[in-house]
Amino acid sequence: MTAKRLRIAAVIVISLIFILAWMFPILWSFLNSLKTDKDVLAYPPKVLFAPTLEAYRDVLFGSASILPNLVSSFIISIGTTVITMLLAVPAAYALARLRFPGKRFAGFYVLATQMLPPVGIIIPYFLVLRGIGWIDTYQGIILIYLSFSLPFAIWLLVSYFEDIPFEMEEAAYLDGASRLRTLWRIIIPQVRGGISVTVVFVFLNAWNEFLFAVVLSGNTVRPVTVAMYNFISVEQTLWTKLAAVSVLAMLPVILLGIFAQKHIVKGLTVGAVKGGGRR
Amino acid sequence: MLTGSGTSMDAPAFISSMDAGRVLARRERRFASALLAPAFAALLATTTFPLLYLIWTSAFRIDLAMPFTNGFIGIDNYRDLLADSRFWSSLSVSMIYTISTVVLQVAIGLGLALFVMGMKKGQGLFRLIAILPVVLSPAVVGMVWRTFMLQPEFGIVDFLSINAGLGSQNWLGDPTLAMISVIVIHTWQWTPFAFMVLLASLAALPDDIYEAARIDRASAWQRFRRITLPLLRPAIVMVVIMRTMVALTAFAAIFTVTGGGPGTATEILNLYAYRKSFTELSIGYGSALAVALLVVTIIISAALFAVRRAK
Repeated sequence: MTAKRLRIAAVIVISLIFILAWMFPILWSFLNSLKTDKDVLAYPPKVLFAPTLEAYRDVLFGSASILPNLVSSFIISIGTTVITMLLAVPAAYALARLRFPGKRFAGFYVLATQMLPPVGIIIPYFLVLRGIGWIDTYQGIILIYLSFSLPFAIWLLVSYFEDIPFEMEEAAYLDGASRLRTLWRIIIPQVRGGISVTVVFVFLNAWNEFLFAVVLSGNTVRPVTVAMYNFISVEQTLWTKLAAVSVLAMLPVILLGIFAQKHIVKGLTVGAVKGGGRR
Repeated sequence: MLTGSGTSMDAPAFISSMDAGRVLARRERRFASALLAPAFAALLATTTFPLLYLIWTSAFRIDLAMPFTNGFIGIDNYRDLLADSRFWSSLSVSMIYTISTVVLQVAIGLGLALFVMGMKKGQGLFRLIAILPVVLSPAVVGMVWRTFMLQPEFGIVDFLSINAGLGSQNWLGDPTLAMISVIVIHTWQWTPFAFMVLLASLAALPDDIYEAARIDRASAWQRFRRITLPLLRPAIVMVVIMRTMVALTAFAAIFTVTGGGPGTATEILNLYAYRKSFTELSIGYGSALAVALLVVTIIISAALFAVRRAK
């Protein structure tokens, strides 16, 4: 009996270590965001303290507000998501359901584009955007975000389109409906779930992007992932503000992640089944 | 009656059924091209075009700080690259970073998946917590680790180190510790990915094989070695391939934590190409470095896919 109890205790201890390890940096940022600078720098670290929302008030409504950056992040992420879906849904349907020559190659091409290192895309793109004056613009950033969101969305959607039974389309054709009408009226409603999962992941990836954003952003367009860098400088770190901004940057994606919990493994491994990698 | 586009589906009566089939096939082709064209135009513009332009710029000297020296130089950038010790050092940093993070993720992820699989309660909690790190931006993760975790004295890691008798360390200032730190951060964020994928594959394995093995009195280790591991092999190889590609092009979680430093201690090839292009403004040479990274990526993925195909 004691051996069994010992084993249960071991299981609980190991579980706690891992769960704590994964939660801690997030939890600690949250706790620090509620402290004063003095409490953050206390030694030993304070777990009990008088919480204050001062840091949030400062970063949201203070002189160096990051509200415009949060708005930037939302505009970029929503813009990327809308354009990606408009392009990806028809393409994924064609790849999943229609017969046409070169179909295998088209599918392979979509996967192969993901092999390209992002740094290899941003160097030439920077030169082009500089030439046409699109640095520090929403259209510049959103356009280049298609390079990773589009292949991802197409492959994720293909897997959902493939699940619909063929009979539904055939019945619609026999009724004399056109292909476009069938797609819009019969097929799209069937993959509503898949489309919303794809929307969540495209938004998430756009929100989290950093390399393209750091090169292309300026005073007008600067997403929060880039802006929070301002809270650390060689001279000083604005501890509580940095913690508050981190929490604000983490909040939307954590909520989306929990919302899409059941689909996360599929979203993370999309395309890999057919043989590719994802950024 | 549904009235769709102008061309209806019913072919005129005088066309034989074979012709009708051909007409339908042609319509399907045309419809497919119309649906694919916008997405493929966007993909060509945002991936294929940059690739070609990248290869083209790598044949130039493009120095934004000294534009008067710019011009076509053929393969000189690549000749310089082969003689550039910083290139070779960044390549070896890339290899160390990639191999250690992938091995750690798979080893810990697999161990934990097996551990959780044996739990009667609490699996749901693990699945929920595992989501948290992977949905975060590596840039934010990097910032949080750099400050609240690794800062000497105030950081929790340093606090633990002091209490463990190891003393306060300059985690990001010492070359070896900085490398270990960025490896740990990447492993922290992405082990849940390996864990979730392997747990899902484990849960999908058939039970009856294990029953048979238990009746044959196979030990736990034998069951793992002879049954679980071979059955999980496709999933493990898939995780290795995906994580290798990501580790090779890791950027934000190194850039925000060490910036590649101290010196070039944590400068992976990806980061070197960035720094050369956008910090030192030597875009032609930066392009050559990015092409080198692409070549490395292709060689490694070809090798991994060969492993995947091999039985």
